[in-house]
Amino acid sequence: MKVLKFGAVWCSGCLVMKPRWAEIETENPWLKNEMHDFDQDKEAVEKYGITDTLPAFIFLDKNGNEFLRLTGEVDKDKLVEIINQNKDR
Amino acid sequence: MKKVFSIVLAVFLFAGLFCALPAKALTSNNVDLYLFWGDGCPHCAKEKAFLAEILPNYPNAKLNTYEIYHSQVNVNLMQQAAEKLGVDAGGVPFLIIGDEDFVGYADGITDKEIESRIKYCSENSCPDTVGSILKSTNQNTKTKYNEAENKNEAKSDNATAKKLIKLPFIGEVDAMNFSLPILTIFMGAVDGFNPCAMWTLLFLISLLLGLKSRRRMWLLGIAFIVASAFVYFMFMAAWLQLILFLGFIVWVRVVIGLVATAAGGYNLRSYIKEKNDSGCKVTGSEKRQLVFAKMKAIAQQNSLWLALGGIILLAFAVNLVELVCSAGFPAVYTQVLSLSNLTNWQYYGYILLYIFFFMIDDIIIFAIAMITLKATGISTKYGKWSKLIGGILMLILGILLIFKPEWLMFG
Repeated sequence: MKVLKFGAVWCSGCLVMKPRWAEIETENPWLKNEMHDFDQDKEAVEKYGITDTLPAFIFLDKNGNEFLRLTGEVDKDKLVEIINQNKDR
Repeated sequence: MKKVFSIVLAVFLFAGLFCALPAKALTSNNVDLYLFWGDGCPHCAKEKAFLAEILPNYPNAKLNTYEIYHSQVNVNLMQQAAEKLGVDAGGVPFLIIGDEDFVGYADGITDKEIESRIKYCSENSCPDTVGSILKSTNQNTKTKYNEAENKNEAKSDNATAKKLIKLPFIGEVDAMNFSLPILTIFMGAVDGFNPCAMWTLLFLISLLLGLKSRRRMWLLGIAFIVASAFVYFMFMAAWLQLILFLGFIVWVRVVIGLVATAAGGYNLRSYIKEKNDSGCKVTGSEKRQLVFAKMKAIAQQNSLWLALGGIILLAFAVNLVELVCSAGFPAVYTQVLSLSNLTNWQYYGYILLYIFFFMIDDIIIFAIAMITLKATGISTKYGKWSKLIGGILMLILGILLIFKPEWLMFG
């Protein structure tokens, strides 16, 4: 499983999510993840159709297929639950 | 010789009599002043204070006052008088001396015009427009006018008595004086969570964190925050002056009340619509890119003075553009402020207090980022709450501005 994270320096919600993800990644070192800046990484933004709300989190399975998309501020507990439920995908 | 002396004396006495007659006439014409005023209207209070100060110098002048906010009878009289004079009585204070009217009151302008008119009518006989209307009505109506005025005075006295409230540990507090600072702090803080101009500060912090010099980081950030506050202060001060100038026109207050009600409704609608959404909306991408590029160029300037100048100019430009997005709250607040009878320094003091609480979230975010060297954000859920609280507040203020402006008159 891999998580693509889309954010921007001007978005306060993205800054709020940063430490939450940092904790999750420390607790789950196996979790693959990529950070994309909305203003810098236009190719990825277009590819994944990020057009409405930031931050956006896209969950990909082993084959690179998207199986879940979350936007906005998400509780750490909810993210941990999703990751644990889908760690084998 | 005796005869010549008698003739000269007679001529002097005769001439003296002629000279004395106009001199007597200078002060003997009775002048009736008819002041239509509103309970709690600050301009009316100023005009009344001015008249109370100068009228003892004119014993021939008599002031008749008619309160119009609580008396339809007095409104009718004002309209009749305005109609007779062929003028539009759009607001109070509305003063009639003879056949001339004075709408509104401005220190240094209206006061001079009023005194000059009193002098003129003392020296020359002026037609008593309102007096003739009163004469043409029967005694019952006259009594009604007086009753309306007396009732209103009693109402004002009751209102004054109700202003004092007892608070535990603090004691007796004048609610009217206490309410304005509370309203200022509350509105400033709620407005502060409006995300309109926050994105630029976050942009700047992200750039500043990449700089090596801490002194430069603090200086540029503080310069940006102070310049942003200054733009907001200038906007609010200009708006306040405009409202103070136009404040006597009833419809200006009503229009602002309607705008506040509409803005409150819009905010509540957005809250309900986006209740379950969080995060930042992706809009204005091109504007953001442009600002970011300029900010980057400025922050990386070798000369600190050039960087400082650039950041101040950018803060001015960005905040002026963002004013369109965040003008609602300051406009309504300054309207409420203008209803209060305050001195100039008090008006500006309250604006500064509002701006301090408006900027407090920016100051906290900036200080945390500079101390921890990590960019921090305030959860977007506070922005949503500010929409709900701000929406309710705007709705209440809008309705009060239209129907009960006297409830918003402090001081």
